[in-house]
Amino acid sequence: MKHYKILAILFGIFTIMTIGCEPDDICPESTPTTPSLIIRFYDISNQENKKNVFKFRIQGVDNDAPLPNYNIVTTDSIVLPLKTDATSTQYKLHEDYTYNDNGTPDDTSDDTIGGNEDIITINYSTEEVYVSRACGYKTIFKNVTLTIEPDADNWIQSKESLTENQSVEDETAAHFKLFH
Amino acid sequence: MRQQHISSYFISFLMGLLVCVSVDAQNDSIVNAVNDSVKVKQQYGLRVGGDIGKLIRTSIDDKYTGFEVNADYRLKQNLYVAGELGIEEKNTINDYLNVTSNGTYLKAGIDYNLYRNWLDMENMVYTGFRIGASTFSQTLNSFSVYSTDQYWQPQYSSSDAQKFNNLSAFWVELIVGIKVELFNHLYLGLNAQLKGLVSETEPNNFQNIYIPGFNKTYDSSKIGVGYGYTLSYLIPLYKKDKK
Repeated sequence: MKHYKILAILFGIFTIMTIGCEPDDICPESTPTTPSLIIRFYDISNQENKKNVFKFRIQGVDNDAPLPNYNIVTTDSIVLPLKTDATSTQYKLHEDYTYNDNGTPDDTSDDTIGGNEDIITINYSTEEVYVSRACGYKTIFKNVTLTIEPDADNWIQSKESLTENQSVEDETAAHFKLFH
Repeated sequence: MRQQHISSYFISFLMGLLVCVSVDAQNDSIVNAVNDSVKVKQQYGLRVGGDIGKLIRTSIDDKYTGFEVNADYRLKQNLYVAGELGIEEKNTINDYLNVTSNGTYLKAGIDYNLYRNWLDMENMVYTGFRIGASTFSQTLNSFSVYSTDQYWQPQYSSSDAQKFNNLSAFWVELIVGIKVELFNHLYLGLNAQLKGLVSETEPNNFQNIYIPGFNKTYDSSKIGVGYGYTLSYLIPLYKKDKK
């Protein structure tokens, strides 16, 4: 009889072996990995109040597609992914975005784009931090600075970082305020 | 009236007991005589061998190289001291990491045989425990950064190998298995091991992915598992009566 018990224990161990492999190999969504930059928009004339940006479209400079979820929306806060293989990321922030192809969808030369586009540049240094076997490493961003590229008509009037030597290490709070 | 009744019972009970004892006494002498004529001698000695499972895996799995020698010494009828000494190199690759672990390990403990053999057969169904220690190194060959957002691609990746030296780990292990005598003094064994990590040196900004002897580690617990297929030879030293 005794060796039946042993076989049962053996079987139990092999079962643990097979079940035990599963959950560790997929990076859970709840695990904080590479953070994105969070910006909130405030009213320039009443700096305590958040203010929506209308017909808001965001596109990365050198990226062919608009940022998903920010293709003509109304919002007062945005989440911008930063390049992990560079120390600078640029975004085109476009308010009151309108687009007219003048009846020729194939010809882009006569297209008119309305609204006001400002370019922001985010400079930072990167650091790789180990997360877990399934998630590998994440990048955190240190010494993050945000510059509004000056043009003839900036709709973003000023910026404010929330701490000195702003770093982007998690997504629990906003990192910059932009006033318009 | 009543007392008389009880005493008569008591007397008959004693009588019965006497009869039983006398019958028993007669039986005893017969059984003893039979036992004496089939006294079984059992082999005691040092059993040494290797893990053929690891050899097979080395030949078919190009991400694994390993070898283990094991030995046990019979102390008592059912009690053995046992140990394993091994070397392993394991390359672990997933979507974001490529790691090579390399090192040696030593395990020592006892095995207890639970199986009552027929006559002079010497097979084992056993359970036991081990204390294990490993010294090893890990090389992070390459990695790429994990990001849930893929707007900017590709993510940062590095292929500059980083080596983490002088790592060590200690663990305890529960082992169950069988050993069957195939031919004279040659044994084939199969065992499974359940391990609990006691301590480890954590590499800076990294993790022990695979510990030689302990095998794969898990993020969620300190439990490890393993198995072994052993082939071993018993060097007979002396014989002793089977109890």
